[in-house]
Amino acid sequence: MSAVEFVFVPLVLALVLALFFRGDSSVSKYTSLVLFGFMLSFSVGLFEQLPSEGYLDLGTYLSVSAFGFELSLQVDMLSSIMLVLTSLLLILVALSSWSMKNQALYYALLIFFSGAIFGVFMSTNFLWFFIFWELTLVPMYFLVGVWGAEKRIYAAVKFFLYTHVASMFILLAFFLIYKEAGTFDMTLVKESMLLSPVLIWWLLFVGFAVKMPIFPFHTWLPDAHVQAPAPISVLLAGVLLKMGAYAMIRMVILLLPETSHQFAWVILSAGLVSFFYAAFMALQETHLKKMVAYSSISHMGLVVIAISTMSYAGLSAALFEMIGHAFVIAPLFLIAGFFHHKTGSWQMGDMGGIMQRAPYLSAIFVLAGLGALGLPGTMGFVGELSVLLSAMKAHGMWVVVVALGSMLGAGYIIWTLRRVIYGEMSEVVAKTSFKMNIFEFFSLVVFALFIILFGIFPSILFEYINPAFAQFSSLGGAL
Amino acid sequence: MIDQFSLLFAAALLSLVFHRSWFLKPFTLMAFGGAFYLSMQGSSVGLAGFVFNESFKVFELVLEVVLFAYILHDDEDISITQTLFLGASSLLLLQAQTLLSFIIAFESLSLISVVMVSFIKTKAQAEGAVKMFIAGSLATGILFLGLVSYVMGGGVLLAPLSSDGSFFMNVGVFVMLAALFYKLTIVPFHSWAIDTYALVRHNHAGLLSGVAKSVAALAIFHIFSPFLAQHLSLSVPLLATLAVVSMTLGNTLALFSKNIAKILAYSSIVHAGYILVAFVAVKSSMADEGILYMAIAYIFMQSGAFLSLDILQKNYAIKTLEDIQGLSKYSPALAFLFTLQLFSLAGIPLLAGFLAKAVVFYAGVDAGLWWLVLIALLNSALSVAYYAWIIKSIYFDEGKAQEKLVSTPLAMVAQLILAVGTVWFGVYAGSVF
Repeated sequence: MSAVEFVFVPLVLALVLALFFRGDSSVSKYTSLVLFGFMLSFSVGLFEQLPSEGYLDLGTYLSVSAFGFELSLQVDMLSSIMLVLTSLLLILVALSSWSMKNQALYYALLIFFSGAIFGVFMSTNFLWFFIFWELTLVPMYFLVGVWGAEKRIYAAVKFFLYTHVASMFILLAFFLIYKEAGTFDMTLVKESMLLSPVLIWWLLFVGFAVKMPIFPFHTWLPDAHVQAPAPISVLLAGVLLKMGAYAMIRMVILLLPETSHQFAWVILSAGLVSFFYAAFMALQETHLKKMVAYSSISHMGLVVIAISTMSYAGLSAALFEMIGHAFVIAPLFLIAGFFHHKTGSWQMGDMGGIMQRAPYLSAIFVLAGLGALGLPGTMGFVGELSVLLSAMKAHGMWVVVVALGSMLGAGYIIWTLRRVIYGEMSEVVAKTSFKMNIFEFFSLVVFALFIILFGIFPSILFEYINPAFAQFSSLGGAL
Repeated sequence: MIDQFSLLFAAALLSLVFHRSWFLKPFTLMAFGGAFYLSMQGSSVGLAGFVFNESFKVFELVLEVVLFAYILHDDEDISITQTLFLGASSLLLLQAQTLLSFIIAFESLSLISVVMVSFIKTKAQAEGAVKMFIAGSLATGILFLGLVSYVMGGGVLLAPLSSDGSFFMNVGVFVMLAALFYKLTIVPFHSWAIDTYALVRHNHAGLLSGVAKSVAALAIFHIFSPFLAQHLSLSVPLLATLAVVSMTLGNTLALFSKNIAKILAYSSIVHAGYILVAFVAVKSSMADEGILYMAIAYIFMQSGAFLSLDILQKNYAIKTLEDIQGLSKYSPALAFLFTLQLFSLAGIPLLAGFLAKAVVFYAGVDAGLWWLVLIALLNSALSVAYYAWIIKSIYFDEGKAQEKLVSTPLAMVAQLILAVGTVWFGVYAGSVF
């Protein structure tokens, strides 16, 4: 299949599947696995075709020259990495939703989402980028609203509205860019063409900050994360937030380097505040999934700090931390969701001693937790260390305070492990059977393997990550 | 050679003969097919003051397709004949070039609209019809007042609208615009519309708010934009204020409404505000394309939404947000089609509503009015709240399954046509530009 088919075939396929299959028919499930498999092999195949610098052209469609509106698909190293990460996560999410109720529709929506997200990472036309960016909201709205927990409707509507309002700033910025630079093609726009880069910078920054999310624009995420079914939380954390970070790197830092340099302190302080604020919130949280959600926001704060350095080392570290965050947070969400499903409670106080009942599951939870607090040997450590080093190099030694934040991370994770996994076995846990579907367990094992693999051999990833920011290579590489 | 207006007009007269016979619908559909062919050929009305407008060609075609869908949907003989008249006067209006021909065509469109809503079966419909009649008569009076002032200032009726800057002429044009904004339901000339759109039968509300409004907006823009472009210092602040007030007020009121038809009526006012953005941005070269795109998108999505609502009311007696709960469980196809049109109205991408807004709002940015566009964009985002709320009722809420009262297969075909249009113009922008 060609690149454009990976965008539109899923969209159409999803509609057809939703139309013809209902209830618990597993046709959409198997279709989605096959499709995501093709997507993964397509994205991995891109690495071989990529030129050493710049973009690989995947075709231009639906051209309207009067409005500069054409679906031009181009990928570079950065977007190819995002595509691989996304398709891998999609497969794992599909596996971990194996026993979802009302499957036919659920998987059709996943397929719809996959087409939209591929469009986001492949299109280099601002308007089409925006179209796919917004299109991802639609399946997410239904996935949270139909399959979510008790307050799902509130969370779904809030998520939809909040991020949609933010997108309006992005669209206005794109219009201003088109007016001033005369093109919607992001590969052609240079900062020097723009007459009002500061206005555009702020519009884009606020728009993407909501998606990432950065304090104080984060309030939609805890609700969405908690109410969404666990696999969808993984999708939110692993793909949707990454979409925000990707756009922040590509359209704020790389597109408007001078203005970004001028406002680097804004990005840095936003990142620091998110990082510490969310860590403190996680520390005082007794709701298991909310704790994971705040820890997720806290880690995105690290990504923001890394982005604010605007250096070769910093951006590479940001990308590594993004990938690490996806692999570390995913099993935490999945297992937290599973515990809730079995025990019927979100409160850590009701759990305790799960280790004795479900040793394998607990081991994976502990491993992911250690990854989140940055234990050496896991992905989390490499990510945090490289972020810290690059930030200290760019902003000065005082940034070492970030290390204090990591200690907070250690605090909330270890305390959570103490309350949920170890400790006295609670009555609820004693009565519960923690039997898990084999496919769902398999996806957890895969996550765990990645956490260790890239923790011990980070160079495997950096080999791909570093060339993504080759234009900064004169400034010195990461690790 | 016969033109599309004469064809539809003749068909409308002739259709009276076929009332109460099975042949009425096929006959009407053939008439619209013929009109479609003639529009393809670019045939123009054979009267002085009317010229086929090449840039409106795609809109003429769209109009005929949409009216075709209305006929498929319709099950009342009298309403079918009225739709033919409405189509004829719409085509007339689209080809008007001089002020006189514009006013004649515009008034004939208003007249047929009033006749249509006068088809009264309940007290509520009577209220809607009377409100529209009074507002319409008042608007016509004001229109003629402006016309008199314009002529007094030295304006010529048998030529396109233009002004040499004399006081009476300028006042005349603005007074005429105020009257025309009655029809476009711009705030503060909107209050009749909510009751009318919500109370008359839904397919008539669709014809009024979806079809007649799109046609009128295009024609008014075509006639008045040269004048507005000459008087930017006056028209921009004035129309920008009206646009902002229309969008914001319509959205706010819609948020508090429980009746779905009322929500669609408010959303129609909001869209009038978006349309007005194109009037404000008249100095941008994209404004023409913008209003054309908006008219095309709006005619599809508003018709689709109101016709869905009509089917919902006929099949399941659905009127309010409470009635529609759980619709996706017992009527998935209808739930999907209705949701599609609502998403398009909300401006979700890959549907016509998004691209229409994008082009209109870009025209605003192009004219240097980025603050106005920001307000419009935020309004558009706010509007998602009530559309998403309807969709939430359809998909997320549990409701008791309803018995189907009647079956309407042809109306579903009409829905399909409108849905295809909404998707087509959301993807293939090239067919408008």
